[in-house]
Amino acid sequence: MKKIEIIGICAVVVLTVCSFTSAQAAQVTLRFSDWHLTEDVWNKSLNEGMDIFHKRYPNIKVTLEPVSYGEKETKYTVESAAGRAPDVFHVHAFSLPMFFGKGYAKDLSPFIEKEGPGFLDAWYPLPIELMKHNGKMHAMPGDYMTMVLFYNTEMFKAAGLDPNKPPKTWDEFLDYAKKLTRDTNGDGKIDQWGFGTLGAKSPGFSLRFGPFIWSFGADYLTPDMKRSALDSAEAKEAFAFFVELYTKHKVVPPGLTAMGAQDVRTQLAQKKVAMILGSGWTPPIVNKINPDLKAFEVLKAAPAPVKRKQATAIWLSSWVMSPNTKHPNESWTLMKFITSKEIELKWFVDNRVTSSRKDVSGVAPEILNDKFASVLASQLPYGKVEPQIKQWPEIMDTFNTSLQEAVVGMKKPEKALAEAHERINAILAR
Amino acid sequence: MDLGIRIKDRHMWMVFVLPGVLLLVLVLGFPAITSLSYSIKPEKAGPSSYTLSNYTNLLKDPFFGKTFWNTAVFVFLSVASHMILGLAVAMVLNRALPAKPLFRLIALLPWVVPDVVAGIIWKWMFNPLYGALNDLLLKIGFISTQVEWLSNPKLALFSVILVNLWRGFPFVMLILLAGLQAIPRYLYEAAAIDGASKWQLFIHVTIPGLRKMIVVALALDIVWEVRRFGLIQAMTQGGPGILTEVLSTYTYKQYFQFFRFEYASAIAMVMTVVLLFVSLPYIWMISQEE
Repeated sequence: MKKIEIIGICAVVVLTVCSFTSAQAAQVTLRFSDWHLTEDVWNKSLNEGMDIFHKRYPNIKVTLEPVSYGEKETKYTVESAAGRAPDVFHVHAFSLPMFFGKGYAKDLSPFIEKEGPGFLDAWYPLPIELMKHNGKMHAMPGDYMTMVLFYNTEMFKAAGLDPNKPPKTWDEFLDYAKKLTRDTNGDGKIDQWGFGTLGAKSPGFSLRFGPFIWSFGADYLTPDMKRSALDSAEAKEAFAFFVELYTKHKVVPPGLTAMGAQDVRTQLAQKKVAMILGSGWTPPIVNKINPDLKAFEVLKAAPAPVKRKQATAIWLSSWVMSPNTKHPNESWTLMKFITSKEIELKWFVDNRVTSSRKDVSGVAPEILNDKFASVLASQLPYGKVEPQIKQWPEIMDTFNTSLQEAVVGMKKPEKALAEAHERINAILAR
Repeated sequence: MDLGIRIKDRHMWMVFVLPGVLLLVLVLGFPAITSLSYSIKPEKAGPSSYTLSNYTNLLKDPFFGKTFWNTAVFVFLSVASHMILGLAVAMVLNRALPAKPLFRLIALLPWVVPDVVAGIIWKWMFNPLYGALNDLLLKIGFISTQVEWLSNPKLALFSVILVNLWRGFPFVMLILLAGLQAIPRYLYEAAAIDGASKWQLFIHVTIPGLRKMIVVALALDIVWEVRRFGLIQAMTQGGPGILTEVLSTYTYKQYFQFFRFEYASAIAMVMTVVLLFVSLPYIWMISQEE
């Protein structure tokens, strides 16, 4: 081999190695964490989403970090305090004030300004407002869903109720619940209940209680969020109505205070209860628990019943960028991708969660023609969010504690609510 | 030894001990000092850099008082039941049983199960609709309707303690079994020759022979039970109301759910002081032996 050929081959090898190593060096790895990664249906969907992302952005590698629903705040708090939080992570909107207060969420306004004017116009105004801290965007909105009534049409028929006429008022709801609470096997013992709901101290509790308190015309706090509003006659009525579903009318299965969201969905899946309050996630999860139920066929959704005004709770999640990220531009690319119109629609098709983007939830035929999502979307104008203040988790825990005390008969509902009122005022005055 | 610097032989122990001490300071000392410094910081930024307000607020917090009481009941009943059952099982397993290793393995199994897993399993067992426990008791006619083990205010704390008995007795059993095997046989034989009854053998030979092991088991079990968290969090999250709320779950709640780092640190420091007092007999006994 001639000298010149050897030199040529060597040059090609060196250039190939150099270009490979420089491509390797340019690749950035991001840590992405989401509690949905622990859920079968969502996990598959998120992995597919990341495959699309990797094809479009080969220079960014995303590693997935699952976390349980109940532990996500703990994980992100500890890691943020240590300066090692994932680059992008997913939390409840009502956790945001605490993350904002501690400086655990990066200011996104420089990235949004670069996207040009009108970038945020694609989203509903309410979720955008809730993502702001000191007037600047510190998170991007994700899932945006209303709580509605899910019911089993076959159990309605068996109880002599018309499955096309779900209860419209809370009084009607109570009447339905009584008819659906039955002894189905004739052994003299009740084995089916009208309504399943959460009573455990869980973040999901406030979502299920919101349709009661707001529809009765009450609220947890005064409009300026400085004092408890639980001393109103409407609040007392809503509280007593909820408690008596269990204590007086017995239309809720035993063990209420230990029941979490998954327990209640299991009750619906196993035909132990006929109605629950849920949202877009309910049909796929119930179907997963008991495929024999044929949840997508048997279940129907209806707006939450009304007392004085139509109102329900809104579930809103948010995407946060860690202030400690070493790759803010790439993290923003990832956040923009997972909140894009195309991918938000994918999240809906795969997981039945409606989007905080109005160009998805407001117009997509996939949502408007879906028997569950169309009901969820129709309720967005009546949705309310929990107060976005840092004391909210403590206030809700205090309220939940008092409700449990009333449910198990430790205190009369009026006394339990009065104590909650006093304690919440003490928390707000601190 | 020549490492470039000359270390006298009588000082060599320092070299060997140093890595361990540094590791301890890093993993125990640093978090402890951080907690202490948090506990004396005001919750709201103000002119004062340090304050005892988090500690004085503890005294005004009605939930803290009830939680402290719940912890005392939980720890007392858990440790007492661990000692009784642990000693009983240890004495059975110390006898000449067939397949003794198999029985020892079975007795140890609850201890191997992680706290949270045990809590979730037992929460299902206690479920009023699907739970195995209610189903069994209904079938044998012991109860006529579903019992709300974790929702009944009279039963909730005791249901958790019952699970903790199952979960924690093997540790005590293991320590006491080691103690029983160390008691010389001739003591029993001599006492038996003197006409001692089984009860007298137990009171005058077994218990004195186990004295040190009982102190060790008591001290360690109390420390662990004060810190018990996963089991209660998985089963009740402190409910109904705050009937099963203990100091560890309350601290967790204040820290990770309410983000009150300073207040949570003050609770953690109180727990540390209580545990230090509880550990004193154990520390004293160890130092006496040395």
